[in-house]
Amino acid sequence: MRHWVRVAFPKTYMDRQRRAGFLFILPAVTYFSLVFIVPLIQSVIGSFHRTVPGGTSQFVGIRLYEKVLTDSTFWTAVRNTIHLLLMSVPTTVVLALVVAIGLHRLVSLRWRNVWAAMYFLPFSASLVAAALIWQWIYDPVYGFLNYGLSLVRIPPQKWLQSLAQVRPSIALVSVWVRLGFDTMIFLAALQSIPGEYYEAADIDGASGWQRLRYLTLPLLNPQIIMVCILELIFNFKIFDQVYATTQGGPASASQTVIMLLYDTAFKYFRMGDASVMAVFVFVTLLTVTLLQWRIFRKPIEY
Amino acid sequence: MRLRWLTALLLACGALTVFFPFFWMAVTSLKTAPEIQRVPLRIAPDQWMNLGNYREVFHREPFGRYLFNSGLIASVSAVSSLIVSSLAGYGFAKFRFPARDAFFFAIIGILMVPFQSVVVPLYLWVNRLGFLDTYLGILAPDLVSVFGVFLMRQAIEVLPNDYIDAARIDGCSEFRIFYRVILPMVKPAMATLLIIKFMWTWNEFFWPLVVVNSPSMRVVTIGLMSFTNIYFIEYNLLTAAAVISILPILVVFLTLQKWVVRGVVMSGLKG
Repeated sequence: MRHWVRVAFPKTYMDRQRRAGFLFILPAVTYFSLVFIVPLIQSVIGSFHRTVPGGTSQFVGIRLYEKVLTDSTFWTAVRNTIHLLLMSVPTTVVLALVVAIGLHRLVSLRWRNVWAAMYFLPFSASLVAAALIWQWIYDPVYGFLNYGLSLVRIPPQKWLQSLAQVRPSIALVSVWVRLGFDTMIFLAALQSIPGEYYEAADIDGASGWQRLRYLTLPLLNPQIIMVCILELIFNFKIFDQVYATTQGGPASASQTVIMLLYDTAFKYFRMGDASVMAVFVFVTLLTVTLLQWRIFRKPIEY
Repeated sequence: MRLRWLTALLLACGALTVFFPFFWMAVTSLKTAPEIQRVPLRIAPDQWMNLGNYREVFHREPFGRYLFNSGLIASVSAVSSLIVSSLAGYGFAKFRFPARDAFFFAIIGILMVPFQSVVVPLYLWVNRLGFLDTYLGILAPDLVSVFGVFLMRQAIEVLPNDYIDAARIDGCSEFRIFYRVILPMVKPAMATLLIIKFMWTWNEFFWPLVVVNSPSMRVVTIGLMSFTNIYFIEYNLLTAAAVISILPILVVFLTLQKWVVRGVVMSGLKG
């Protein structure tokens, strides 16, 4: 407390400097409190209240949690989301690793930059645009994908309109969008590995596979973990792609948690239920992140 | 040696596959409605200079307005983010005051709060303040990003203190030191932040979808959706609109790629 009084009413030169430092961070602290901290607390509070039409809200304990967490539509959405991310996260990370290692092996820097730029390009498109372009490629009648398949005599598929194929199809869009981002992170990490390590490995007579298995991958471990976590979070929050294309259909086969949250809050205006889902998403992602921290204590540096 | 060529070849194939949807979008946007429904499909458009779809996009929707809205919102959010983040970055990097680290970790901790977890109260606030369907409403959660604070702190922290001390001895005010001594030394980080933040806000979809009602306030991502419906989509128009929405970002992205990559590598933290 005494510290704060001195910051507010500085007596010495050092106090004035402390005050200056505090004033520099004040706008950011105020903004983040108003836009994130306060609403987060309100989300938690809101999840224990039912809002009656007319504006008054009433404390209902964990009733809304019971309601949402026993609702089968909610668990369908959770299952779909997990299914989506189980398909897209490993695919993205493995492909990104392969591409990054490949790019790193290219001798010509110019070509490396050209190819890297192409892999990275989808990152610049909005998820909505990406999903809509893919929806056109997936079009069952006039789409390019079915045309390509017809060339090798495979009958046309329904892709986004099929119960079985809708989730893999959407997962592929996520892979396409995120591949370049992950590749860039891996490539930057690869470039920071000192060349001497590889020279030493060569002197020891390590084969190409051994170099990859015992040198490159262990050194990339922090980045691999980090990218996995980032992808997990990104794919757990999947919304734009689904909203723009299937709207959760067909028959809720692509309904995801955030889609459900959006509909609950802004289509049916059940803010209490939506708050429960908001808390669920927060707690889930927090757990994932903290687990990562427990396993890998030291901060990731570049 | 042969392996090296094989790697290069596979990489090139992969890159072309990744690039293909862009190509397909551009080609489709040059076709007429009967052309895209032709069976069997023809890849090349009949006329490479057919810009009718682009004219139609602007004719049917106020797409110019959408572009303006997106540009305005993305610019304001980039600039405001730059100002607040560099101030905070300087404060965190070069000053000592009570609870400094606690504040910093609280801000970094916000990275773990998914936006969707705060969207309901945020919406209620914006509604209560009468900002629904206004620029201010769309901008509200985008004015500063945690990533920016982190980026600027990292950039400023490595600057030697001697400059600051020298300026203080010369009687420079604290704000003037920030403005005249610190900022000129972290221009690369500032550029990175500006570009990344502009791109993020331009591509934003969830929040605008929540706060925007009237057509005149739509941003391009929302505007794209007006070319879709469940029953029938005119893909020649939709792809033209998509090209228009992506092109500005693509230009920024390709010319300033170096900075974007820097930001991405730094943004490891961003969720």
